[in-house]
Amino acid sequence: MGAQEAYLIPALPAAAFVILLLFGKYLPRGGDFVAIAAIAGSFLLLFPVLVDFLDKANGTDFVPVEKSWEWVQFDNFEIRLGFFVDQITIVMLAVVSFVALLVQVYSVAYMRGDPKYGWYFTCMSLFAASMLTLVLADNLLLLYAAWEGVGFCSFLLIGFWWERRSAAEAAKKAFITTRIGDVGFLIGILLLWREAGTFDITEIFDFAARGGFNNADIGGLGLSGNAYLTIAVLFLFAGAVGKSGQFPLHVWLPDAMEGPTPVSALIHAATMVVAGVYMVARMFPLFVLADDIALDVVTALGLITVLMSATMGLVETDIKRVIAYSTLNSLGLMFVALGSGSVTAAMLYLLVHGFFKALLFLASGSVIHATEKQDIRELGGLAAKMPVTAAAFGIGTLAMIGVIPLSGFWAKDEVLHALDQHRNVVLYILALISVFITALYMTRLFIRTFLFEARDRVGWGHAHDAESLMTLPLVLLAALTAVGGLVVFGFVGEALGFPGGFGEFVFFAEPEKFDFAWGVAIFSTALAVGGIVAGWYFWSEKAEPARRAGEALQPVYETLYNRYYIDDAYQWVINRVVLTLGSLVAWFDRNIVNDTAVDGSAGLGLFAGFELKFLETGKLPNYALAIVAGVIGLAVLLLVLRL
Amino acid sequence: MIPINDFLVLSSILFSLGIYGVLARRSAVLILMSVELMLQAVSINFIAFAVYLSPQAFTGLIFAVFVITIAAAEVGLALAIILRLYRNKATANVDEADMMKW
Repeated sequence: MGAQEAYLIPALPAAAFVILLLFGKYLPRGGDFVAIAAIAGSFLLLFPVLVDFLDKANGTDFVPVEKSWEWVQFDNFEIRLGFFVDQITIVMLAVVSFVALLVQVYSVAYMRGDPKYGWYFTCMSLFAASMLTLVLADNLLLLYAAWEGVGFCSFLLIGFWWERRSAAEAAKKAFITTRIGDVGFLIGILLLWREAGTFDITEIFDFAARGGFNNADIGGLGLSGNAYLTIAVLFLFAGAVGKSGQFPLHVWLPDAMEGPTPVSALIHAATMVVAGVYMVARMFPLFVLADDIALDVVTALGLITVLMSATMGLVETDIKRVIAYSTLNSLGLMFVALGSGSVTAAMLYLLVHGFFKALLFLASGSVIHATEKQDIRELGGLAAKMPVTAAAFGIGTLAMIGVIPLSGFWAKDEVLHALDQHRNVVLYILALISVFITALYMTRLFIRTFLFEARDRVGWGHAHDAESLMTLPLVLLAALTAVGGLVVFGFVGEALGFPGGFGEFVFFAEPEKFDFAWGVAIFSTALAVGGIVAGWYFWSEKAEPARRAGEALQPVYETLYNRYYIDDAYQWVINRVVLTLGSLVAWFDRNIVNDTAVDGSAGLGLFAGFELKFLETGKLPNYALAIVAGVIGLAVLLLVLRL
Repeated sequence: MIPINDFLVLSSILFSLGIYGVLARRSAVLILMSVELMLQAVSINFIAFAVYLSPQAFTGLIFAVFVITIAAAEVGLALAIILRLYRNKATANVDEADMMKW
């Protein structure tokens, strides 16, 4: 057993999916144990892979493991199918398999009694298989297939309660919005393939490093230098924008909260939405080779997303949607890190974000499970009733805010540090402002949910901590959230068997020793604490200051509450432009294609046949006359042609 | 020697008579006879050309023999059909025999 068998990791959940799909109905408990056993197996398989990978490494000189099989072969065109294990793959595998395992265990209790219980675990297994395939894929085509696979699972699970119209609408919105990005992703892949002639990621890197994309051109556009590669990676990034909910395609993620809460924890926080970050990190050599504009765009969109989502989080009242905004916020920070050239910071944030965001979602799931309410205006005072959940949620909140020494602090400071070093001071200050706003809305979320007077006495009355199946994942995630960030330190990494801290395991080009940036830490901590204090001032007790502030800044409040009117703008475009064009196309299809061309030609044949059949009189002289006339006609024709 | 044109004129007249008979007559037997006329017109052509073009070879003559043979077989078949028609319809008028229309 070693890294050569890494393909088993996605194979297990895939097998579970097939078993559940075919025999799930006949298995006791809907076959949930099959799904959980498979994902647990995947998680355990990670360790031999990791050990093997570390054994083969020489210090921080890691050897990626790649293995592939023939997939499609005709003439000299070949597509291979295989997996590729390197450091970022391992980080992703750890996040995906671990969070998926905990979430599925949690779901056993959360989804109990649901009529589609078995189907839920079937979808979860398919998702796990697709996601692990995405992470391991060694070529862009397989990656794209898995990419669509997780998008499809996301669609199924957001719309899990499709009987609710809003859930069905949200599923559709998520699918279509991410599809817009996916089209770009596919174009990017094809652009790379067009020049490099291969889908294999490593080969594309080699090709790019040899300067293969230099002066490549599309259809006589007159591109020169790195322009072709830049365009290609920007198209790739479009896929990441859709999948990871970056501005302007972020609108689907808050609506995706219509799905069951464990789904939000797994798919819309810890794993699928970070696939975009992962993909950019995986393709990072190309982003570096391309013109600077590529990484500028990544940074810019990331920062816009950070600021927009943080401000929208201030006024949102649905507990899950607030966390969804915080997810957008975190994803934006990851892209800011990537745009600033730091794969280390992005992947560290991705790792700890997987833990603390899953924790926040699962804890909010416990709240919803206990009170059947998810509007924070109706919650409050739950800390007394649900101490474990409150503690877990509190740890998650502090980690998201970035309070020392929780994991979020280290990750966020790495991002800020990278931004400070590689970008100008304006962007750095904007990011620091977002830290303050994050602290503000996360504090609001926590204290409105768990502290002070309960606004809804009925839900509060019967609320209590959930059973151990649900609290155990919370406690595990809370523990990891608390200490997970310490992996940045060299001695922690060495104690765990790594050659050093996180920066010496996951890095681009050169290993980065962790260096504690005092300036960044002081600024960010001050802003975080300031945000908490301000949040406490605004939203404690009856939240009077917040109400007054809202009234004083009515237009701002309205704008934020309506999500910058972006959803409305999209809806307007859909209603006015897309549906108008659609109705034109539909009219053309119905009247021209269907009624005229298809039905028309068929009708013409029918009509002609009906009219012509009367020529068949059955009378011999008529036929004879026709023959004679025909012969004479032919003879005349012959004479005419001869002349 | 009789010029070939005379033969061709004769055969054309016979052939036209046959066509006229086929088109104008209503009795199946008469139509059959008209068809025979047309066949014989063709035979005359064959023989005339054979004699004029290649007196040594028998190609045209053999064709004439074939035509006669086929005509005999055809008459056998056609008369049988006409008899069946007469049995069923009590007439040999082809206008009555229009069961095979639309």
